[in-house]
Amino acid sequence: MALLQIAEPGQSPQPHQRRLAVGIDLGTTNSLVAALRSSLAESLADADGEVILPSAVRYRADGLVEVGRRAKAVAAGDPLNTVLSVKRLMGRGIADLTLLGKQLPYRFVEGESHMPFLDTVQGPKSPVEVSAEILRVLRRRAEEALGGELVGAVITVPAYFDEAQRQATKDAARLAGLNVLRLLNEPTAAAVAYGLDRRAEGVVAVYDLGGGTFDISILRLTQGVFEVLATGGDSALGGDDFDHAIANWIVEQAGLSADLDPGTQRHLLQLACAAKEALSESSSVALAYGPWQGELSREHFDALIEPLVARSLKACRRALRDAEIELEDISAVVMVGGSTRVPRVRQVVAELFDHPPLTDIDPDQVVAIGAALQADTLAGNGRDGEELLLLDVNPLSLGLETMGGLMEKVIPRNTTLPVARAQDFTTYKDGQTAMLIHVLQGERELVKDCRSLARFELRGIPPMVAGAAKIRVTFQVDADGLLGVSARELGSGVEASVQVKPSYGLTDGEVARMLKDSFEHAGGDKAARMLRELQVEAQRLLEAVQAALEVDGEALLSSEERVAIAAQMQALRDALEAQDGAVIELHTRRLAQVTDAFAARRMDASVKAALAGRRLNEIEE
Amino acid sequence: MGNASHFALFDLTPDFRLDLEGLAARYRERVRRVHPDRFAGASEREQRLALEESAQLNEAYQTLRSPSRRARYLLALQGEEMPQETTVQDPAFLMQQMELREELQELQEGADLGGLAAFKRRLGQAQEQLNEGFAACWADPLRRDEAERLARRMQFLDKLSAEVRQLEERLDD
Repeated sequence: MALLQIAEPGQSPQPHQRRLAVGIDLGTTNSLVAALRSSLAESLADADGEVILPSAVRYRADGLVEVGRRAKAVAAGDPLNTVLSVKRLMGRGIADLTLLGKQLPYRFVEGESHMPFLDTVQGPKSPVEVSAEILRVLRRRAEEALGGELVGAVITVPAYFDEAQRQATKDAARLAGLNVLRLLNEPTAAAVAYGLDRRAEGVVAVYDLGGGTFDISILRLTQGVFEVLATGGDSALGGDDFDHAIANWIVEQAGLSADLDPGTQRHLLQLACAAKEALSESSSVALAYGPWQGELSREHFDALIEPLVARSLKACRRALRDAEIELEDISAVVMVGGSTRVPRVRQVVAELFDHPPLTDIDPDQVVAIGAALQADTLAGNGRDGEELLLLDVNPLSLGLETMGGLMEKVIPRNTTLPVARAQDFTTYKDGQTAMLIHVLQGERELVKDCRSLARFELRGIPPMVAGAAKIRVTFQVDADGLLGVSARELGSGVEASVQVKPSYGLTDGEVARMLKDSFEHAGGDKAARMLRELQVEAQRLLEAVQAALEVDGEALLSSEERVAIAAQMQALRDALEAQDGAVIELHTRRLAQVTDAFAARRMDASVKAALAGRRLNEIEE
Repeated sequence: MGNASHFALFDLTPDFRLDLEGLAARYRERVRRVHPDRFAGASEREQRLALEESAQLNEAYQTLRSPSRRARYLLALQGEEMPQETTVQDPAFLMQQMELREELQELQEGADLGGLAAFKRRLGQAQEQLNEGFAACWADPLRRDEAERLARRMQFLDKLSAEVRQLEERLDD
């Protein structure tokens, strides 16, 4: 008989009913995982008590992968194998990398999908794989902290992320073994975090300036429904750009050549980042690089970032117009993202919205917290009728290529999701059985100025005279912001098969290879989890025995018995130190055996005590 | 849901006059029930159904919210769907269309934000007048032609509003 914990009547522990779900903020600079614990949403910390996981991944020559602070610390020394800000590369093609304009200190190679892969010492790595490493660490952290396997996660993305960027994020989650409950837009998540705290009804503007992306969302909260009225932003604008502005200034001032090696670039950016943070507190900061020394005043810093800040304000004005609301209608302004600590940013936002911005929830954690709240709801833990419903919109217009290289909009931007729109087509040749449809995202008139999403090949159209077929193509955007296409010939009712060729996505072969690699990882994951479970069980048994000894050890055990139990407890503690699962299991079983008699005696004794108590009561009656 | 009319989805009788606040409240109440987020743990089939139903609900809501889309929808419910672009049949309005377009062009060339604001106000007033006109005649089958004409004018002014917004954005540069 195992050592029982005898509980008072009416105090038996509840079986564990909660479905474990988390919210993950997969940020450009920092990532976090949060969950609801005892009705409070909070970020989960690692073994050192830190909640922030720097989004840094380093591929070492010995085959190990480092994620987080350690990787970030050595970035300048190993710039080609240490990936920072991988979010900026998600869903981006090779042409985009040159457009990003900055000097990225990495080497790229082209994959079979023509998507860029980072050339590391461990071979080519897709940005999707790099992100999966970060997600994997967060998943493990969550499972340890919450004590079980996750049912799913809500992962946040910038509201302004396009289809390719969203799909890449979902792919990364899959590789990391996470079930994505929903992709949630970051400003919406932030609004949720504040909304639930405040129970306010009204219109909220969320200004979200992260490391690499800027989002502005205008939301209305009414009777538990959070409706995004409009969203806008710039998926290539963020705090990183502030760093680049300072770094370029240093290069100028110090008279360095424009063509720097990756290590130097990385070092300068780190220096710039430190300067930016210092200037949030002080009015000027002293800088030194090599023989050069200088001073950067807050005034000058403001001037350097002025064009960037102006870009963000322009997106804000556009969102206000799209939302069709007046400034007076806005009841609150929320700031999200570490870069919103820059005083100049706070100042211009307060000016534009004529409201002092809310910052009480840590701007670095607010998104993860909102995501955790939503994850809890989606996992099915919420009480009916009390949860918030989030209605998001598509940030970019969706359309088709038509004659003459023109983009015809089918689903305009800021349409509430989910949405389905149909467009009718016909054949132009006798007997035509297939059709190619080119889908794009963007606001411009010409196809070449918009972003190609995918080419959909429709097959299986019944052969008819040209112009006789009526093919209804339905475009559907789901709550995650992802597109689905279906087609049916209306006359015959035949459903066409749709083959998708994404313009900025990985090939099936590449995904298969990555999944295989991640399964091999997962083997390691499973073993790690089993070890953890054995450790937890051993720990519990040790604590239970210790507690029992303190209460009844003297009364119920002979001194030889006590010595034997103490020896076995020590053996188990040693096994825990050695971290060998099989040995831990062995000694746990032995400790249970050696305390068996002790447990039986405790049981007898307490039953006797309970009976004695009752008899006393009966007598009193 | 299936083929229920947009109005039926909200338990409303088809009419042009519509209390927008009331519609919004009905929308919120219904979308809470059918939104895919309510079915995050359900089977694939249920999730797909939820996706289709909420997309349909959203479409119905957007159609009824916009006066010009509501107008076209009402006419489609009553008789046949209106053919797409046939402004040729409305010579009186054609003049007005051309004038409005020219004015907008001038505002663009002059980068005249103040003038643009005034233009927007006049546009709003014109839209109001059309709404009143349509409300008065749409239910009468004998005045079908008039209703269709007004619906087309409403559609044109809608497009013009969109162009005004685009111009505002360009001038923001």
